[in-house]
Amino acid sequence: MTAPGPASPGLARRAHPLTGLSTAIAVTVLAFLVPPPWGPLLLYGASGVLVAICGVGRAIRQGVIVCLPLWVFLFLLHGLMGGGPTRSLGPLTLSADGTIAALVQAGRFGAIITASLGFYHAFDPSRFLNAVAARGWPMHVSYLFVATLHALPAFLDRAGASIEAQRTRGLRYRGGAWARARAVVPLALPLILGALAEVDERAHALEMRAVAVGGKRTPLDPPADTLADRTIRWSLLLLVLLALVGRLTSWPM
Amino acid sequence: MADVTFDGVSFRYAASTIDVLDGVSLEFRAGEITWLFGPLGAGCTTLLLVAAGLAPRHTGGTLVGAVSLLGRDPQATGSARFGQIGFVTATPELQLSGIAATVWEEVAFTPANLGWPIERIRSAADRALRLLGIEHLAHRSPRTLSGGELQRTVIASMAVLQPKVWLLDEPASSLDQSGRIRTYELFRAEADAGAIVILASEDADALSTVADRVIVLNDGRPVLDGAPGVVLAGDAIWDRGPGSTSIAGLARAAGRLVESPLLAAPYPVTVAEGLVRWR
Repeated sequence: MTAPGPASPGLARRAHPLTGLSTAIAVTVLAFLVPPPWGPLLLYGASGVLVAICGVGRAIRQGVIVCLPLWVFLFLLHGLMGGGPTRSLGPLTLSADGTIAALVQAGRFGAIITASLGFYHAFDPSRFLNAVAARGWPMHVSYLFVATLHALPAFLDRAGASIEAQRTRGLRYRGGAWARARAVVPLALPLILGALAEVDERAHALEMRAVAVGGKRTPLDPPADTLADRTIRWSLLLLVLLALVGRLTSWPM
Repeated sequence: MADVTFDGVSFRYAASTIDVLDGVSLEFRAGEITWLFGPLGAGCTTLLLVAAGLAPRHTGGTLVGAVSLLGRDPQATGSARFGQIGFVTATPELQLSGIAATVWEEVAFTPANLGWPIERIRSAADRALRLLGIEHLAHRSPRTLSGGELQRTVIASMAVLQPKVWLLDEPASSLDQSGRIRTYELFRAEADAGAIVILASEDADALSTVADRVIVLNDGRPVLDGAPGVVLAGDAIWDRGPGSTSIAGLARAAGRLVESPLLAAPYPVTVAEGLVRWR
């Protein structure tokens, strides 16, 4: 996985950062509000189309990779072990209700993961910080948010360096499952210990750079919040509210 | 009046059984570069952390005695709130904000956090980049910088505050010779303009001519304190400290082989002094 941000020059990167965040949150909430069985599946499809249009289509493939183990688990849990009427599919006997339940859950997770990955790939830490500073978010809150999203690529960079360092010492980490399993400890241990050793120094640096001072941060170059951005965010809010009303009034709790 | 004072300060880390600082009473004066010099574990870095209010607030541990920084207690709220402290460590990569897209944004990061008006931030950041000679890096991503460029960026990130107090732990360790000279010149200029510069370093050859005062620490206590030209020339710094400059070391080693008044203490500290002595 690459660092979030600069690699995606599409629509998502041009939009106001809070629009992307709102979209990811709205999809997450809608996934549990839209009526099953078709609602979550359609939402998943819509999320895929949306990230593709916004220029972060790689989120679709990565979403499938992330979700696949979960889908298999859901299928085993609900499809093969569910109750009610059954149908035969080749050598498998599937619970009809269980299979639908598995599809619903798979659709929900697929939509959430795809939208979140789309937001992640479009995420530009600096733009986001400027956008939320312009909104008056406290610095320590926005930094926590940004640093969390930024931690993974930084950790992966370090992991890459660690792998190279161990390779030069003769560690063989390719091959069968046993060879890979044996390589885990020498690869992971320096990574984790190194990260822990740096915690103090990072904390000192952030303290001295006034991250925890509180008060309002000055936005350096706040991104434009266009009419289109605001319209999208209000529309998403309206959509969520409508779905909530529908959820409370139409389909069983 | 001294703007940074330590009065009977002892400090012990939480997991330790010994005092890293042991009854330290010191005053640091405006307009001076004070160089903290000592063997590993002498307490130089800890002294800087205590002065900055980071130890024990962040590190844990026990502090005894009183520290005053610009007339205030840095332990109470942390010195960053004062906006007048330049703190630089030997690991610049860990001092980056991690979220700035460009070097300019990295330099502007702290003043923005302090809520400075944008016009003031712009002029201060541009000035800091000029001071460190890294204007050409302004639009580069900090992730793409070399070690030396990174270190200068980090120093610029503190110079932007125009600090009244500089707390520096090996601030030139990643720099080449010209970069080190330029950086020390910057600190000299800051001190001449009235700042307090406290600098921990092993770079004896360079700092012997830059610092106004050297304090040699050993086992958490100041054991020698004076002008570098005097302290570094004596035998005591070899017995109770980490040694001296290359020239002083050469003279001392040669004096052990050949008995000559030309090779006796006080040793020449700089090349120029050596030339005068041995010409």
